[in-house]
Amino acid sequence: MISNIERCYQCGQCTSVCPMGEQEQTYRIRRFLQMEKLGLETEESMVVPFIFYCTTCYKCQDNCPQGVNLVDAVLAIREKAVHKGKMLEAHKKVGQMLINYGHAVPTNTDAMEKRGLLGLEERPPTVQASIEGLSEIKTLMRLTGFDKLVAESEVEEQLTENAAMVQQADFTQQQVAEEKA
Amino acid sequence: MSNLSLFLGCVAPNRYPGIEAATKKTFSKLGIELDDLEGASCCPAPGVFRSFDKTTWLTLASRNIALSEEMDDDLLTICNGCYSTLKEAETELKKDSGLKKEVNEKLFETGHEFRGQHDVRHVIEYLYQNIGVDGIREIVSNQLDLRVAVHYGCHLVQPLKEAGSGLVTNDITFFDELVEATGAKSIDYEDKMMCCGAGGGARAAVQDATLRITEKKLQNMIEEQVDCIVNACPFCHLQFDSGQQDINKNSGTNYEIPVLHYTQLLGLAMGFSPEELGINLNSTNTAVFIQRIKEGFVTA
Ligand code: SF4
Ligand code: SF4
Repeated sequence: MISNIERCYQCGQCTSVCPMGEQEQTYRIRRFLQMEKLGLETEESMVVPFIFYCTTCYKCQDNCPQGVNLVDAVLAIREKAVHKGKMLEAHKKVGQMLINYGHAVPTNTDAMEKRGLLGLEERPPTVQASIEGLSEIKTLMRLTGFDKLVAESEVEEQLTENAAMVQQADFTQQQVAEEKA
Repeated sequence: MSNLSLFLGCVAPNRYPGIEAATKKTFSKLGIELDDLEGASCCPAPGVFRSFDKTTWLTLASRNIALSEEMDDDLLTICNGCYSTLKEAETELKKDSGLKKEVNEKLFETGHEFRGQHDVRHVIEYLYQNIGVDGIREIVSNQLDLRVAVHYGCHLVQPLKEAGSGLVTNDITFFDELVEATGAKSIDYEDKMMCCGAGGGARAAVQDATLRITEKKLQNMIEEQVDCIVNACPFCHLQFDSGQQDINKNSGTNYEIPVLHYTQLLGLAMGFSPEELGINLNSTNTAVFIQRIKEGFVTA
C-alpha cells in the first residue's frame, strides 16, 4: 500500500479543508484515497485527470487526525498513472521543456530584456548558458528513462470544467450526501 | 561556515529576474558574495516531476546539490518549490546510503558526485538564523512605512517542519519578524497560511480553479488594506502578480496589489531604488506604489 493510507478511517477532515476541493467540486481527496485503498483501478477515469489538480499545499495532511501522509499519497497515485502512460497535456509540455532546455520554465525574449535592464547577463548562468550542463541533464534523463516516459505517454484529455462537472455530477451528489451524513 | 552558492531555479531568472538582482544586491550589502551555480538546472519542481518519476526527480536534484558541493558551498535557494525539492532530496540521500549509491552511479556518468557534506538553505530561513532579525534591523537604512500582507507559502513551512527546525509553531512568526525588521508592519489577514493556489502542477492543470484560490486570498488581503504582498517564492509571486492580471481579464475585476519577494522589500529598506530591484517589471502595475516609495513612504 502506498504511503501510509491504510491508517485512513474516512472521516473526511482532509476534504473539508482542501482549497482545491472548495473551488472544484470534482476534487475530493478523501475519495481518491479510498479508491486507491480499495484498488479500484477500473475507475481510474475518476482519478485522472483530477488527481493532478492537487496544489500539494499540505492543508489536508495538517488536518488529518490519523497522520496520513496525504501529499506523498497523491504524488504516488500520480506516479502510477504517469507510468501507465497517462499524463495531462499541460504536464507533458512541462516535461518536454525539462528535456529540451533543462528548465520547466525556460527563458524568453521578455525575460532577456528585463535581465538587461537590471544589469544581469542576458542568459542566466544556469544550464541555459552551458551546453555541457545541458548535455549532462540529457544524459541523466536518458539513464532514468524520463525522455521515453514523457515521449510515450498518451495525453489525457484535459476536461473543460463543464465537461468535468457533467461527468462527475452523479458522483459528486453522492459524495455531498455522504459527507453530510 | 561554508560559503553560499545561489541556486536560481526557473521562475526567478526566466520570469522575475528582479528577484535575482535583489538577492545579489542585498547579500552583497550584508557582506556575502554569492557564487554562481554554473550549469544548474530546474530543481526539478516537486509537485510535477517528483510525481512523474521519483528517480528522475532525485537524480537531477542531487546533481544540483553536487554542483554546489564541488565549490565547497552550501546551496541557497530563493524559491519555496526549489527548497522543497532540494531539501527533501538532501535529507533522503543523507540518511539512505543505498539510495545515495544508486544516484551516484548515474551522476558519475556526468562526472559529479553527491557527497552530502553541505546544506540546502532557504533565503528566509538563512536570514532569520544566520543574520538574525537584529542584524537586519541594523543594516536597514530606510524605515519602510508599509502595511504588508506576508505570504509564507506551503513549501517554506513544510520542509522546515519536517526538518524539525523549531521555526514552525502554532504561532508562526519568523517571516513576519523579518518583514517588520524593515520598519514595515505585517498585517494579519484571514486564512493567511492558505496556499497561493499555484503549486503541485495545478496551475498548469486547472488554472481557473487555482486563480479562484488566489482571488480568495487577494480579497482577504484587501479587506485589511495592505500596501503590498510579500512572498518568499517566485512561483507564488507569479501566481499573485500575473494571476491578478488573469483574474482581471477573465472577470473584469480591478486587482492591483504590488507583489514583492522579500529580497526586494529588504532591498528597498537598504536604499536600493525600486528599478534596481525590478519592482517596476511586474505584470501588475506598480507605478503608484513606486511613486509613494519615492515620495517618502519610507523615512530615512
Ligand atoms: S483526514 Fe485522514 S483519516 Fe480522515 S479521511 Fe482524510 S486521510 Fe482519512
Ligand atoms: S495538498 Fe492537495 S489534497 Fe491536500 S489540501 Fe492541498 S490541494 Fe487539497
